[in-house]
Amino acid sequence: MTLKLGSTLWLMRHEFRLTWRGFTRARTGGGGRFRRLWLLLILPAILVVTAGLPMGYGLRHVQIPIVPVAVVVAAAVSAGLFTLMLSQTMAAAVAALYERADLDLLFSSPLNPRRVLTVRFLAVALNVYALFGVITTALILPSVLLGHPSWIALEAVLFALALGATGAGLLIAAGLFRAIGPRRTRTVGQLLAAITGAAFFLTAQAYNILGRSQSASLWGRVVRAAEDPRFHAPPGLDWPLRAALGQPLPLAAVLAAGAGLFLVANQVLGARFAADAAAAAGAGTQGRPARIGRLAPFRGGVFQAMLRKELRLLGRDPALISQVLLRVLYLLPLGFLLLRSAGRGQTLLLPGTVAALGLMAGQVTASLAWITISAEDAPDLLSAAPAPIGAVRQGKVVAAVLPVAVLLTPILPPLALMAPWVAFAGALGCAAQMAMGALINIWWQRPGKRADFRRRRQASWFVSLAEFLLGVLIALATAILAFGSFWALVPAAVALAAVLLMRRSDAQIAAALRAA
Amino acid sequence: MADALALKGLTKTFGAKRAVDDLSLTVRAGELYALLGPNGAGKTTTLRMVAGLLKPDGGEIAVFGRDVLKDPAEAKKIIAWAPDEPMLYDRLTPLEYLEFVAGLWGVDPKTAQGRAEELLKWLGLWENRGERCEGFSRGMKQKTALAGALIHDPQLLILDEPLTGLDAAVARQVKDLLQERVKTGATVILTTHILEVAERMADRIGIIARGRLIADGTLAELRARRGEERATLEDLFLELTGEGEGQAA
Repeated sequence: MTLKLGSTLWLMRHEFRLTWRGFTRARTGGGGRFRRLWLLLILPAILVVTAGLPMGYGLRHVQIPIVPVAVVVAAAVSAGLFTLMLSQTMAAAVAALYERADLDLLFSSPLNPRRVLTVRFLAVALNVYALFGVITTALILPSVLLGHPSWIALEAVLFALALGATGAGLLIAAGLFRAIGPRRTRTVGQLLAAITGAAFFLTAQAYNILGRSQSASLWGRVVRAAEDPRFHAPPGLDWPLRAALGQPLPLAAVLAAGAGLFLVANQVLGARFAADAAAAAGAGTQGRPARIGRLAPFRGGVFQAMLRKELRLLGRDPALISQVLLRVLYLLPLGFLLLRSAGRGQTLLLPGTVAALGLMAGQVTASLAWITISAEDAPDLLSAAPAPIGAVRQGKVVAAVLPVAVLLTPILPPLALMAPWVAFAGALGCAAQMAMGALINIWWQRPGKRADFRRRRQASWFVSLAEFLLGVLIALATAILAFGSFWALVPAAVALAAVLLMRRSDAQIAAALRAA
Repeated sequence: MADALALKGLTKTFGAKRAVDDLSLTVRAGELYALLGPNGAGKTTTLRMVAGLLKPDGGEIAVFGRDVLKDPAEAKKIIAWAPDEPMLYDRLTPLEYLEFVAGLWGVDPKTAQGRAEELLKWLGLWENRGERCEGFSRGMKQKTALAGALIHDPQLLILDEPLTGLDAAVARQVKDLLQERVKTGATVILTTHILEVAERMADRIGIIARGRLIADGTLAELRARRGEERATLEDLFLELTGEGEGQAA
């Protein structure tokens, strides 16, 4: 199809092409093709067969009643989805301010800058919708075809949520920009996006965080309140459910609300956003104010130099901090569950939880090790230095392990007081997972840029799979050891043998890096 | 005294392309040597091999008598390498960067701190010492990288296109700094596409094309060999490399 050059649709196609290529980008030869196939065909097909069809068949004669409980559940799910989408759009809005790669080119063209931004914002909304739409379409389509054609309205509700979340994300990013300035907006915006995303998960984990009685009573209170005949839902609370079921007026209202928020943000902030983007770029060139009074004395030695440098870089990377923070937030329910189970002597729950804790610790270590080892900004500088490779690696590995060790400190020592053997098994498991994560990242380096942190797994499916399988083996060994059985030696030995098989000499590492 | 750099029969092949072809050249201690050549002639490949970043397929490299291939760590101690794209960490300040580089080269911390202050002041970066490099201009980044290259007081300074993208004032500062280092006994090898710089600064000039050294000597020697006493370096370069032929035709 030939589109008019410079038209909105033409711009939209450009945005989609960039997004699609970014989404399916893989370093390995056929990775991109497989990912496209997976996203467009395999995953939807699996969902249709395993969930969509059984659900559609089971619900073909069922009419969902508009009762208070259903209204409350639908509203809560909508709010949760909106939160998740908001975290995505907030991150996208902050990225649009700072990672403006082609915005300069587009703004310097004769195209209307407002139109350029509207299209970009719309693309954000469509991308966020697509993330959820792939799954919901596969789940809902059989039901739509088997007797509930109006349920297709769910997709429209999702799109309205995506539009609203994009509007809200833009308003928040612009508000932050006004309130705290361009430099801090980047960090705070990314952290806020991570926390918002995790809020959904943490709410879902209320049982683990608050404990059975409190979380049950919280949910119970909500359900009891909804079932109470005197309960009157606040006006509009039933709109999401009615809209999703295809009732025209609520559907129009939900669509109008989402589109309205998007349009208001677009109209109010459009021009300002362009100015903010320019200011964000300007802020970079001014650098940070000199802190003349805080000059610490130099410290010597390759290990010290490497460790300090890596810790400084890790601590100053807002995108990385938000990612790690996200994982830490995911660790919280696990930690709460672990300590509460230990406190109550629930020995059956402990081994699994401590194994999961180790798995999580290993994953965070592996992520940080990828950053410190593979995402080195100046590899030539290190190669040109007379520094021993061992000291360089030690500095990098310790920098990756230290933050994780700090994160485990509030969990493992208290656990040792309550359940010493489990704590011992957990410490051993965490140490093994962390060592495995670091070693694999040394032996199988996958050079990349820090900015590619979230896509690092695409660099090598073999390493990603090996990390996962070894992690599971070590977690299994940890759980069995925590039970007090020395059968733990079996998975531990298999994991050790596999790790040793993956070992590469310095010459092999160098050759692989040259070939990369 | 041993030559600052002695290359003998150096060869490097990438796939089917021979980037450096049996290259032999000598750079004397205490001179500023300009290595010139058209794009893709093998200059950067040669210098990367000298800096220990690339392993040659054949040949020998000696820096002040130390064999770079047999004992790279010893050779690297006295070499500094500064590529055209500054090797920096955007989120470090110049002072933190210099502390890091000094640590890599094993410079005593007190000495390194003194040198860092001296270099940053010399290069006009002292006021920016607490700012992260991410906001620096190209020239400031280049100067920070240069300070990093000098923090361990190298005997042999290898610079690949050190003046690319610099404004006149910064370029002048860099040229002054290089001449200052040569005066104090260091040896500088640089590549540049700005032939006037080589003409005015270099004690000797080497011209390579297709991986081979096709001319080597002082400007006067190069002129004498071609029998063109009034020729500029540009004339000689174009004639020797055959680069000007297409344009003349």
